[in-house]
Amino acid sequence: MASLLSSSFITPPAKSDQLSQKHYFLHSFLHKKTNPSSTSKSALKFKCSAIGNGLFTQTTQEVRRIVPEENSNLPTVKIVYVVLEAQYQSSLSAAVQSLNRDPSKFASFEVVGYLVEELRDPDNYEAFCKDLEDANIFIGSLIFVEELALKVKAAVEKERERMDAVLVFPSMPEVMRLNKLGSFSMSQLGQSKSPFFQLFKRKKQGAGFADSMLKLVRTLPKVLKYLPSDKAQDARLYILSLQFWLGGSPDNLQNFVKMISGSYVPALKGTKVEYSDPVLFLDTGIWHPLAPCMYDDVKEYLNWYDTRRDTNEKLKSGNAPIVGLVLQRSHIVTGDEGHYVAVIMEMEARGAKVIPIFAGGLDFSGPVEKYFVDPFTKKPMVNSVVSLTGFALVGGPARQDHPRAVEALMKLDVPYMVAVPLVFQTTEEWLNSTLGLHPIQVALQVALPELDGGMEPIVFAGRDPRTGKSHALHKRVEQLCIRAIRWGELKRKSKAEKKLAITVFSFPPDKGNVGTAAYLNVFSSIFSVLSDLKKDGYNVEGLPETSEALIEEILHDKEAQFSSPNLNVVYKMGVREYQELTPYATALEENWGKPPGNLNSDGENLLVYGKQYGNVFIGVQPTFGYEGDPMRLLFSKSASPHHGFAAYYSFVEKVFKADAVLHFGTHGSLEFMPGKQVGMSDACFPDSLIGNIPNIYYYAANNPSEATIAKRRSYANTISYLTPPAENAGLYKGLKQLGELISSYQSLKDTGRGPQIVSTIISTARQCNLDKDVDLPDEAAEISANERDLVVGKVYSKIMEIESRLLPCGLHVVGEPPSAMEAVATLVNIAALDRPEEGITSLPSILAQTVGREMEDVYRGSDKGILKDVELLRQITDTSRGAVSAFVERTTNSKGQVVDVSNKLSSILGFGINEPWIQYLSNTKFYRADREKLRILFQFLGDCLKLVVADNELGSLKQALEGKFVEPGPGGDPIRNPKVLPTGKNIHALDPQSIPTEAAMQSAKVVVERLIERQKIDNGGNYPETVALVLWGTDNIKTYGESLGQVLWMIGVRPVADTFGRVNRVEPVSLEELGRPRIDVVVNCSGVFRDLFINQMNLLDRAVKMVAELDEPVEMNYVRKHALEQSKTLGIDIREAATRIFSNASGSYSSNINLAVENSTWNDEKQLQDMYLSRKSFAFDSDAPGAGMMEKKKVFEMALSTADATFQNLDSSEISLTDVSHYFDSDPTNLVQSLRKDGKKPSAYIADTTTANAQVRTLSETVRLDARTKLLNPKWYEGMMSSGYEGVREIEKRLTNTVGWSATSGQVDNWVYEEANTTFIQDEEMMNRLMNMNPNSFRKLVQTFLEANGRGYWETTEENIEKLKQLYSEVEDKIEGVDR
Amino acid sequence: MATNSLHSLHRHLTNLLHHSDSTATAIPLFSSTSFPKPTAATSSLSLSTTTAFSSITSTTPSTSQPAAPSTSLDLLRRHLEARDYRQADDETRRLLIALAGEPAVARGYVFFSEVQFIPTPDIRAVDELWKEHSEGRFGYSVQKKIWKKKAKMDFTNFFIKVGWMKKLQDSEVEQYNYRAFPGEFIWELNEDTPEGHLPLTNALRGTQLLNSVLNHPAFEGDADGDESDDDLVEQGRKRIGGGDEESGNKVFKTDYSF
Repeated sequence: MASLLSSSFITPPAKSDQLSQKHYFLHSFLHKKTNPSSTSKSALKFKCSAIGNGLFTQTTQEVRRIVPEENSNLPTVKIVYVVLEAQYQSSLSAAVQSLNRDPSKFASFEVVGYLVEELRDPDNYEAFCKDLEDANIFIGSLIFVEELALKVKAAVEKERERMDAVLVFPSMPEVMRLNKLGSFSMSQLGQSKSPFFQLFKRKKQGAGFADSMLKLVRTLPKVLKYLPSDKAQDARLYILSLQFWLGGSPDNLQNFVKMISGSYVPALKGTKVEYSDPVLFLDTGIWHPLAPCMYDDVKEYLNWYDTRRDTNEKLKSGNAPIVGLVLQRSHIVTGDEGHYVAVIMEMEARGAKVIPIFAGGLDFSGPVEKYFVDPFTKKPMVNSVVSLTGFALVGGPARQDHPRAVEALMKLDVPYMVAVPLVFQTTEEWLNSTLGLHPIQVALQVALPELDGGMEPIVFAGRDPRTGKSHALHKRVEQLCIRAIRWGELKRKSKAEKKLAITVFSFPPDKGNVGTAAYLNVFSSIFSVLSDLKKDGYNVEGLPETSEALIEEILHDKEAQFSSPNLNVVYKMGVREYQELTPYATALEENWGKPPGNLNSDGENLLVYGKQYGNVFIGVQPTFGYEGDPMRLLFSKSASPHHGFAAYYSFVEKVFKADAVLHFGTHGSLEFMPGKQVGMSDACFPDSLIGNIPNIYYYAANNPSEATIAKRRSYANTISYLTPPAENAGLYKGLKQLGELISSYQSLKDTGRGPQIVSTIISTARQCNLDKDVDLPDEAAEISANERDLVVGKVYSKIMEIESRLLPCGLHVVGEPPSAMEAVATLVNIAALDRPEEGITSLPSILAQTVGREMEDVYRGSDKGILKDVELLRQITDTSRGAVSAFVERTTNSKGQVVDVSNKLSSILGFGINEPWIQYLSNTKFYRADREKLRILFQFLGDCLKLVVADNELGSLKQALEGKFVEPGPGGDPIRNPKVLPTGKNIHALDPQSIPTEAAMQSAKVVVERLIERQKIDNGGNYPETVALVLWGTDNIKTYGESLGQVLWMIGVRPVADTFGRVNRVEPVSLEELGRPRIDVVVNCSGVFRDLFINQMNLLDRAVKMVAELDEPVEMNYVRKHALEQSKTLGIDIREAATRIFSNASGSYSSNINLAVENSTWNDEKQLQDMYLSRKSFAFDSDAPGAGMMEKKKVFEMALSTADATFQNLDSSEISLTDVSHYFDSDPTNLVQSLRKDGKKPSAYIADTTTANAQVRTLSETVRLDARTKLLNPKWYEGMMSSGYEGVREIEKRLTNTVGWSATSGQVDNWVYEEANTTFIQDEEMMNRLMNMNPNSFRKLVQTFLEANGRGYWETTEENIEKLKQLYSEVEDKIEGVDR
Repeated sequence: MATNSLHSLHRHLTNLLHHSDSTATAIPLFSSTSFPKPTAATSSLSLSTTTAFSSITSTTPSTSQPAAPSTSLDLLRRHLEARDYRQADDETRRLLIALAGEPAVARGYVFFSEVQFIPTPDIRAVDELWKEHSEGRFGYSVQKKIWKKKAKMDFTNFFIKVGWMKKLQDSEVEQYNYRAFPGEFIWELNEDTPEGHLPLTNALRGTQLLNSVLNHPAFEGDADGDESDDDLVEQGRKRIGGGDEESGNKVFKTDYSF
């Protein structure tokens, strides 16, 4: 035996060489002390994260090859197998070795196995094809990755006829069809009518497929046994094979091999080969390594548990925590269960009882209910559950059924974690990878379980390259077990004794910014949460009476500077204590030197800021620490957390001893700390920092992508909160005047006063700076009546656009759902979208139809400025609002709160004439609107209203704190997808392989065509050769991949979905069909997109490379044109030259331009551009996907230099350009200009598909629109100021972001700053209000004005500047407490 | 149903133990990249050994059930005297399983909570032998000291200190992976052989077994630098002396997976 193994186990000698020679691309994200010269850019040493062939795994089939000894005269049977499950390797090898050793053997066996993922490597694939050439038997199992399934199919198909037997167990239908056993064949799979094939036909039903297959396995043999015909015999042997396979043990596999070779290998004809029947194990049950048997009954199992001699009293006592484990049966039967045993030992050693259940099928929902829920009391028998399978609860790698999984988990009602064993990579490959977990495993075993509500994708088991066996990763197992027990503790501890650490953020580090979170009034929310928890029995001793007092106590001295220790210090941690409590402290020294350092420190101790109330601690999360350090911003791919940051979490975990930490609002820095993208190792900072504290995270419902990062990297249970209710922007000042003038023009235009009114309109429009948006004729010019209509129509259309913009007013407070009237604008927008798939016609469409128009035409006409269409659109809009308001009013009580929607609704819906919308419409020109369509629509709106006002945010938090299951739900835009509501759900993203959807492709085409149309107008009728664009994670989640689809459509390819609806392939659209040249792209993916959609980056890269290689004329294929040029200039091949898909290096996010701008720490635009180039030039290469992100700066620069246009998408109505810093952070407009040979500024566009009337606007138009609807709009800033402290900060943020746009694109008009100055500074009363509410933020506001002027973005009078300078010193003094 | 599965599983297990020496040998203790398997004397372990296991429970169908495997220290002593640490290491693992009791023998590895059943004198005797033949640098009590003092009871630190993990060369950050068994371990007592390198306790199933071994009452106070008790050791030798080493040898495949 030893000889067998040792001879075949020799590693290919090339390997160690490959290790040392091939690419060294990624440089370390930590500065190497040993290489001080590395700070100079050219000297940066890049090191590769992947070795060898650049694929995800470097293992080869050779470790699985068993060749019999030469000297026998027996016939040889050669078996080739391909499996997903490496656990079969050791079992199968053992089986074949025993056969070969058997003295009475009838044949020699040669066997070689391939793991699915290995077939990506061309060399391995070639070897595979070659192995098949003389193979007798092929075996395949769980081949569900389309690309690879097709490769398997192609290779096996060629040899299928010749081979003696082909056996494929559950896999994609394409591969299943290869099955062949004598007369038994599945080539008709999906077409035949026989009941046997019907079974496989039902595969579309997903998980049911594997389970019905199992059922068949159990029942069919009994029947078949008695059927005499050969056919039945072959089918019977297939079923037996499946039983042997699922039985998995070496014994079973031995008999399986005997049976198949004896029956089908011609050389063995006439030899009587004896084999035993398969030994069957339980399909589902409870397994424990010490137990004498598997149990089918949890009571029996627990009885045995109590009799264990080896356990201590603590574990036996009724008080021990109980953790449920979910295991895969195949690991148990094949004997590859070391990693399971490790978890069981770790749990028991830590005092937790375990109930480890397993199932053989792909549906665990049944077993979970059967074994974890007490059949009598219906209460859970476990405190928490950990699935060690990595798979979604229902469906495994095949088709999932999330609703069924959620239903089972809701019944169970305990925290549910899904840990991940390495499948496609070996331990060392995972450790070395900056990506972390293999992307396909991320899609299958991280993204899909999240849809079930699964948490904490902790990689707990590695895989050995030689044996394929799983083994424990001891630290990861420890982390997993402690965390599972601690989640369970939440179920066991009393409310009074539970300790909660509430963590708030401060971005950027400034005292005016403590408690920042998108759309959330943080302190009011905390106050509301704590008041509620107090009532509920939590110990919140000493909580002040009001939220203002709470702010006061935490900030301690609001007017002091943040950097001085004048925030309230709750704990001083000595350096020695810090080092003892923080085992990874030394790892931070490379970046930050010895502790304590100068951040969150008084020079001797590390300081934890915050305040404690009873068992609740409210703390301020330290910031990254390098915000103000331009060198770090520029050069560090990412830096480690600083000592103060680590000390904060050490305090929470080990000094305060929190039972849970509650991160309060979107978003903090913990989850963005360096480490692997997904599947953290011991060396990843987010994992080390969060330690073993259960993490609950309030997250804005409209930001599923970053919420997902928090979920994966900091193990958060993300509970969604609602963004504040949106309102229409409305009109003010000159714009309002314009509206009035237009309305009088409409009534008086034929009276002869027309020309006079028009000239007033023109001059007012000029005052309002509308001249850049609308081509205004000279006031004095004589113009015809038609032209007058057109001018008025265009101005009208513009101000209507402003008026109807949605803006979130004020900030949301957790536990305070919007009032009914506040929900109106949201409902109107929900009502404005056609939803054909649900049979819902939009309200505007219904109304337009009553006057014989189609809504799409009205939109088009209005966009063109046709006065009567603009007017009709306004009427439709007004009427929609009126009808929805009338409806909402009927469902509210006297206080204006929505009450009891359901009852009211049914009474409303009962009586036709009483329907409030009918009543309302009867007084309008739309009185004939289709009643049935309206009824369907309003029924839907009623459901939405119920959801909008439902308040689950506090409820879900309490559930999480009590160790219950929090219902999962999608994040996104409630207007597009009302399923986001009600908030208070554990937010998840989507199945990354499901996008782009067909519908998203349709919308994408519309936007691309409009963009091209627009660019041709601005660019002398020429097509843009290259468009530089940005892909956002959230955007693609909300739109199901619209912008992803845009990229595909620009280069002229379409996605092709597989049988399961997963998109893993693209094909070119012919030039005839496309009707235009293929447009080149430079795609900049956000760091979050890269983390969530690495498969899609792979898809895009393959698409671009495919297009570059198409044999087409270069004037019709700009991708090819540029790639050919670049390949020549750079001396690289065309595939490498066609590198277009860029992002940050792994583990790093954003270009940091946002930080530089927010902190005003930049010298000139060149510096910002360098930052962009150095941080965003990492490419994904589909030819070496395992290598992760590789720096390709040269190609990046060359590609950008061809760009004629830059382009971004807005993803939801409430977030626009100046609301957040990330849009300008990723804008390359000025950079492109500096790179272009002709120095021409590219056009810059923003697509807005957030409303029913999708638009492509120029960037400057969008910036103006944004300034008018937000920063300069009294409705908006007054709304913000009603939130006080936080509101001032929001105003300042908009101005700072506007400066960001000046810096990256130069597309901000002077008047924007001028008007802002008039509004906030020249207005004394306003200025004083701002200064008093939040002096720190006000100071920043003043400083930003001065900066805008100083950098040349704003020209203004000397007086204005003098005033600002004076104000600055005044507010400084105020902050410093110097009274004059 | 349950009983049925018990039989079959047991059979499967026994089978694994008997006939899969080679696979078992290939299971690395500290898994990692492939290394040619050394031509260790383990191959002398017969493949065709007749069943030599006691049943897990009385319900197990009985084949022939010879006596429990030997707990004699003679073989270990001989290997150590010959400075054949590779063999001694295997034998130590075998002894540990045998000492932990019949269920452990049937299973092929020791569950952490079974360590308590190992008599103090026995495990101490094993430890003494190692120390005696390694100039005091090998043995559980040596490991205990390192674990408690130098590694601050952290197993990753411990593994690094005793050389059971290796630093990854291609990693961007400082990371360690398990060494592959047996090729990457050091089977000689050299200047640079880390203290406490042997005997090995595998991390395939986590660290709780090793934790229990190091916390065995036999090594209580070891980290405080106590002198070992010669009398006890002597007693232990007497108690477990004798026995049939041959059968003991045959029963056990070199399974590193406990």
